[in-house]
Amino acid sequence: MLKLVIQKELRDILTSTKFIVSFVSCALLILLAFAMGAAGYRADVARVEAARRENLKQMEGLTDWMMVRNNRIFLTPQPLASLVAGVSDDIGRTMEVRGRGEMPQEDTRYGEEPVFAMFRFLDLEFIFQTVLSLFAIVFAFDAVSGEKERGTLRLSFANPLPRATFMAGKLAGSFLALAVPLLVPILIGCAVFTLMGVPLTTDEWMRLALIIGSGLLYFGAFLALGIAVSAMTRSSSTSFLALLVIWIFAVLIIPRSAILIAGRAVDVPSLDDINAKKFRYAEQLFAEDRAAMNAFSPADRSDPRKMIEEFQKFMGNINDARQKKMDEFSSRLNEERANAQGVQSSVALGIARISPATCFTLAASALAGTSLALQDRYIAQARAYQVSFAKFILGKTGINPGGGMVFRMRIGDGEQEKPIDTHELPAFEYRRPVLADVLPAALPDAGVLAACVFLFFAVAHVAFRRYDLR
Amino acid sequence: MDKAPMIEAIGLSKKYEDGVLALDNLSFAVRPGEVYAMLGGNGAGKTTTINLFLNFIEPTAGEARIDGIVTHRDPLAAKARVAYVSENVMLYPNFTAMQNLEYFTRLSGRPAPTPEALHRALLRTGLAEEAHHKRLRGFSKGMRQKCGIAIAIMKNAPAILLDEPTSGLDPQAGFEFIALLKSLRDEGKAVLMSTHDIFRAKEAADTIGIMDRGRLVMQRTAGELAGEDLERVYMQHIAGHDGLAA
Amino acid sequence: MFGTVLVKELRAVLLSPKFPATFAVCSLLIVLSVFIGIREFRGAAARYAEGLELAAQTLRTQSTWMNLSTTAYRKPDPMQVFVPGVDGDVGRLSPITGTEDVKLTNSRYADDPLFALFRSIDCAFVVQVVLSLFAILFTYNAVNGERESGTLQLTFAGAVPRTTYILAKIAGAWIALAIPLIVPVLLGILLVVVYGVPLGAGGWARCGLFMLASLFYFTFFVALGVLISALTRRPAMSFLAALAAWVVLVLIVPRIAVMAAGTLRPVPSVAETEGWIDAFAKDRMDEQMKALGARWQERQAPMQGMSPEARQAYQQSKQQEWANEDDAARQEVQKEIDAYRVRVNEEQGNRVADQERLAFALARFSPASAYQIAAMTLAGTGVSLKATNEAAMREYRRAFTQYAAGKQKESGTQAGFRITVDSQTGFHFSAPRERGTLDVSGVPAFAPPGVKLSEVVSSALIDTGLIAVLALLACAAALAAFLRYDVR
Repeated sequence: MLKLVIQKELRDILTSTKFIVSFVSCALLILLAFAMGAAGYRADVARVEAARRENLKQMEGLTDWMMVRNNRIFLTPQPLASLVAGVSDDIGRTMEVRGRGEMPQEDTRYGEEPVFAMFRFLDLEFIFQTVLSLFAIVFAFDAVSGEKERGTLRLSFANPLPRATFMAGKLAGSFLALAVPLLVPILIGCAVFTLMGVPLTTDEWMRLALIIGSGLLYFGAFLALGIAVSAMTRSSSTSFLALLVIWIFAVLIIPRSAILIAGRAVDVPSLDDINAKKFRYAEQLFAEDRAAMNAFSPADRSDPRKMIEEFQKFMGNINDARQKKMDEFSSRLNEERANAQGVQSSVALGIARISPATCFTLAASALAGTSLALQDRYIAQARAYQVSFAKFILGKTGINPGGGMVFRMRIGDGEQEKPIDTHELPAFEYRRPVLADVLPAALPDAGVLAACVFLFFAVAHVAFRRYDLR
Repeated sequence: MDKAPMIEAIGLSKKYEDGVLALDNLSFAVRPGEVYAMLGGNGAGKTTTINLFLNFIEPTAGEARIDGIVTHRDPLAAKARVAYVSENVMLYPNFTAMQNLEYFTRLSGRPAPTPEALHRALLRTGLAEEAHHKRLRGFSKGMRQKCGIAIAIMKNAPAILLDEPTSGLDPQAGFEFIALLKSLRDEGKAVLMSTHDIFRAKEAADTIGIMDRGRLVMQRTAGELAGEDLERVYMQHIAGHDGLAA
Repeated sequence: MFGTVLVKELRAVLLSPKFPATFAVCSLLIVLSVFIGIREFRGAAARYAEGLELAAQTLRTQSTWMNLSTTAYRKPDPMQVFVPGVDGDVGRLSPITGTEDVKLTNSRYADDPLFALFRSIDCAFVVQVVLSLFAILFTYNAVNGERESGTLQLTFAGAVPRTTYILAKIAGAWIALAIPLIVPVLLGILLVVVYGVPLGAGGWARCGLFMLASLFYFTFFVALGVLISALTRRPAMSFLAALAAWVVLVLIVPRIAVMAAGTLRPVPSVAETEGWIDAFAKDRMDEQMKALGARWQERQAPMQGMSPEARQAYQQSKQQEWANEDDAARQEVQKEIDAYRVRVNEEQGNRVADQERLAFALARFSPASAYQIAAMTLAGTGVSLKATNEAAMREYRRAFTQYAAGKQKESGTQAGFRITVDSQTGFHFSAPRERGTLDVSGVPAFAPPGVKLSEVVSSALIDTGLIAVLALLACAAALAAFLRYDVR
């Protein structure tokens, strides 16, 4: 009998005009998201390539590796980020690498082009989170109350049909009828993605599959919730109103307010304050060094060249010492701030997880590699690059790069100096996370979504047991 | 010779939570091959009685039995033995008559019916063949009611419950319905019919009961009522009227 | 007759569960958003004050005029309480130095990406998304619902003009929706007054215009719902159609418009343009270094054959002249680089403005985008926020560096380090002499560009007018559709 009810549900939904209209709209949106995501990704890749080219160009013709200033690294675009934007448009994508010291992040996407911040992007995550949940409600709100209003509920239960079977059939049938067809535009979208020239590794395909899986879990949760509410009300219009209010709060309100209210409750040291402290400390150190520079007197006064070399080494040493002190100071302050931020996000996100929308966004962005962890990963990889860059420059010039004044004297003997080969410069390529990296972060949120599905499933059963069938 | 009752109420009472006494010690029996018409005003308790037989609500006292099975104790077994046609048959608007019929037939526990069997049932109710594969959305009330009866026919249950079956039917449809009802009775079905329609009740019923404010105030066989004006009898028993001033 | 229908309409809506639900939800959300807006604004104002203090402190602790630098901060606008717009995405501050260009960095969301995940809930958002949804809910069955219940037929069996009826319907729904908007907004205004947010006369005027735009906005959706209701026979269908229309207009069109504009009018990234400027600067610097080298060769020439004492005397006499020459050359090069930078920035600004214009033009198909644009323009937190502030900061940088250069000349300290290497006199290094802390009282302060009321209002009137026109069109269409409606 369960199979019979499921079949009835499938046929009822799939032949309705409501389904055709909603499904076509959702399918179009999904395809649009994939297409625009692919276009956006390719444009981003082109932009980063152009920026990299310019970066190397302004180094060409330099004759001394020590003169290399403004070595910039860029956060290479990730294909999955065009489907699940996460915070990738809010963090700075460019860093200036000097070999030592801090590398402030600059140029956020939204900061550069505020018009995008105004309207934001239509990514797959948005469609799942906002449109599909609404889609679920539109079908679920009259699942039970509609059958009651139609009289088919009474007629069905004039037969030896257990209530649990009916409810299970409703839930399973609705989910099959709505979720399975969605796989079609999703698969077509994936094909579009590849056809438009966006290369995904096997690992990324797996992650995408998991993102879609979480999306379907989220959709299932709203469907179950909708059916549960429908099994608690007599009229369809009441259940729709209730579900609309629930949707507004769960999807639009709770994530934002929870983070704003809970987040501000935790104290995080202000970045301005920290930067000012660093600036003042740097000034102080530099003033000390200036005194030392004034007092410098070369040991060997015989040869100008030797004097210059000695001075260079001297400068190198005080630069190193100063930079070390600066690094210690900075990393201490940075760590304090990072820890406070960590507490803040645990508290804020913890509370926001009341809503399945938050859980979905967190799971999807974790899997796509665009969650808050993106910032940490980028910074960590940038620091590692900085170390290899410093080693490289050290190897080429014998002096540690970075830090304050770089002293290099050109001796005009008219010898022709060879320009540096910019291709020798180690390139920075942001290494994308793999499934093993992101799964631990995504799993708890996906788990909460699954728990929601079970919870609403159970609530629907319990509510229907007491439902007045007349 | 006297067959066991198929549809039986024994001291059936129902008091709602708000204190309203919807049914007060109702007892009657419908035997196989019998049509029992239950007359009464709105709120007399007719629908409550049917709801009790279908276990949509539970009695506060007494029993409702289908084929000897007490419905509130063994609802699934009872429901297997009773067919139901509601007052306003609506069904699934996206499905065709055939699809609706097939679904509810299978839901009743019967094996999957052949299309011929479905057609036969629909034709028996008088639904024209062109309409069998049309979606229910466009059906008139009479057509929908025929589908409802076809569902009951396909279920082939020994007991049939009808709630206001002739309300809103034009004279032709009403006539066809009564003929169908009689043929079902002749097959040996026990039929309980709640209705306002005194004319049709007189035509089709073997026993007539009158309900007023939850109590069965009169029960006579068709033979006993043969020469009387049923309308006057009805008025007499409802609200203690002494009949119309003659 | 109008009055009768209107009263009936109001009674019907007010008694249905829709009204209390809408009122409760909207009240809660609007008051919550204003409350959060006030807290965020006060936080931003506190950070602004803190920033100014820090900048002043840092300025005082600097010891030379040479590389004098400070930070300019963007001042938060009190209208942010209602419409934060892109305030969180645009940088809050820019370093002001002699060598670097102005660039707004450290936006709120870049500093604390946690808040970027879900962004903010503000008054404009509540009206744009939630109120419009409830407007659809109120009106989707305005006409066909009455038809289904038979009351439409009954009404027009009497002598009611269709125009009167439909206008009363629209008015009834409008009033029923205006209440859940106006009452909480009044509460919100109370909160603003109680918490002492410094709106000022200009701010209140902008608030008023914002309310007006909001009223026009939801009028459109009321009319849209009635229109769709008058085009379909079954409420189930009109409900789906109205919901679909809402999704497209409010959620989809604005985003697609901006993505399309991004694809059709791409703008090179800042990293790329900075690369161009760096390459140009490097070339000029190279040339300057070569020229400097050549100049030094020339200067050495007269000193050949002099005695060590004569040479030292000669060098000392020529020192100031050489310093001035070198300074002048360096400044010349810097001017060239600055001019190039200005040109690149201007071109970039034009490209960005082009892209924005296209994005807005495409987006304005939906009243939701028009409303957003109007709201952000009024609050001064729209796309111009970045350009306006950066332009003002560039002006300030000019004044600031001029002042610092002037002071430096006054104090007579040499710019830059001086290194002399001579096989005779040996090695000599001199850094700019420290003067202890400077007297920075005369340093010009950054005057944040305020919102010019007339500009902002005239700009917002375009979009407000657009919404009003769309609302009017929707009402007209609803009327036309109803005049042809089959009431049976």
